Amino acid sequence: MQKIESKGINFYYGETQALHNVSLSMKENSVTALIGPSGCGKSTYLRLLNRMNDLIDNTKMTGSILIDGQDIYEKNTNVDDLRKNVGMVFQKPNPFPKSIFENVAYGLKVNGITDKKTIEERVITSIEQVALWGEVKDKLKKSAFELSGGQQQRLCIARALAIQPSILLMDEPTSALDPISTSKIEELIYELKKQYTIVIVTHNMQQAGRVSDTTAFFYMGELIEYDKTKTIFTKPSQKQTEDYITGRFG
Amino acid sequence: MALHIETELGKLKNIIIKIGDLAENQVAEAVKVLLSEPVTEGKEVKKTENKIDKLDVKIDEICQSIFALHQPVASDLRFIMSAMQISNEIERIGDLAISIIKKSKNIKDKHDLIVKFSIADIAKQVESITIKTNECFLTRNESTIGEIFILNNRIKNECDEAIHNIINEMKSNSKTVVSGTNLVIVLKHLERISEHCTNIAEYVYFMINAKIIKHEKFGSTKFED
Ligand SMILES: Nc1ncnc2c1ncn2[C@@H]1O[C@H](COP(=O)(O)OP(=O)(O)OP(=O)(O)O)[C@@H](O)[C@H]1O
Ligand SMILES: [Mg+2]
Repeated sequence: MQKIESKGINFYYGETQALHNVSLSMKENSVTALIGPSGCGKSTYLRLLNRMNDLIDNTKMTGSILIDGQDIYEKNTNVDDLRKNVGMVFQKPNPFPKSIFENVAYGLKVNGITDKKTIEERVITSIEQVALWGEVKDKLKKSAFELSGGQQQRLCIARALAIQPSILLMDEPTSALDPISTSKIEELIYELKKQYTIVIVTHNMQQAGRVSDTTAFFYMGELIEYDKTKTIFTKPSQKQTEDYITGRFG
Repeated sequence: MALHIETELGKLKNIIIKIGDLAENQVAEAVKVLLSEPVTEGKEVKKTENKIDKLDVKIDEICQSIFALHQPVASDLRFIMSAMQISNEIERIGDLAISIIKKSKNIKDKHDLIVKFSIADIAKQVESITIKTNECFLTRNESTIGEIFILNNRIKNECDEAIHNIINEMKSNSKTVVSGTNLVIVLKHLERISEHCTNIAEYVYFMINAKIIKHEKFGSTKFED
């Protein structure tokens, strides 16, 4: 069974159709990269996977998305549980104006976990998971804003991990980071893949090559090609894909 | 506006065409020296050899900078990978041609032996396979690739047969041993030039089709004579 299975997705912002008949499935413990030119619908597709688009007015979707075989757009879906299971990391690190510790603990408290010991354990594990522990263990009470951009981004990933999702969505998670922080996040993705299913939007072709198992190329709201990353970057079957990855678009 | 990488790839292509032409000239010269009695002066050959070596280094430099600066993928990547390999093969073809020229000078009664063992025919075929090889890089024509595979098989068989006959001759007439041995070496060189041409054809095939056919017995399958 596929971890994520989307079938015939059409998506509209008001009158504008942003996705056209997109069908795309992802295996458990895999990393899928979504690539394509600006405005092709990558973020729109990503946000459908945890129903973040519900928060935007006047939108409509047809088709279906199954996670672990469950249709997440069914009427009786508990959206809070869904978002707990499907974590998200954004382009710009967006820590809360709170301490490093509180940033990671926040999601747990929101989700009704009150036991101090449990919270502490989860916070530490999550920070360790993103390889940030060594850098912050002596300043957990300090504001998250005192961290560097790369550290903040890893903190945000720790925050997402703390609530123990099984899927992690990342929308250009390293576009604001320097090469060292970027490579740390990429290493992290490689590690996290053992436990999570990861979908990452990236404009960096080399990054898609480095971190992902499969790559989906979107163009003007359509899924043009979806294949093993190795195949996409060595022998894509569609000319549009070839033109895009070799930088000869348009 | 042309992409920067396209300019670099164009440069690379032109240099390969140039180095291929030079190697083709070397082979033609080697065949001439082998087949004609008074040995020609080797100055031009030496000069060409230097040019080939310089271009070979230049190709490696260009490839290296394309890798470092442009991170080529898909057909660009295949082209550069092939270019590096092809220039190696061409450089070896050039070296083998030089060896043939040197060896040819040390074959006594060369003319008689060449006639007796039909060497001229083999040499002409080797000349023609190098021409075809350059053509196939330029045109990326799959049927030319097929012709190269077939021709290579024929050259190989004829070389084997000639070598077999020369060895028999040497067994029965010990006076022919020195010349015969040199001629065998020349034949082996001709055979290897043909092999290198076939390798180039395989890289061109990879460039076009993204399929590696190296080490596959193509002569006996798709491109049967
Ligand atoms: N909130 C919104 N309201 C209306 N239209 C939107 C909204 N968000 C996105 N769109 C439109 O939907 C299309 C797809 O946008 P999306 O953000 O999914 O693209 P993207 O592939 O993520 O692009 P980028 O690489 O620039 O982030 C675009 O044409 C965009 O203008
Ligand atoms: Mg986006």
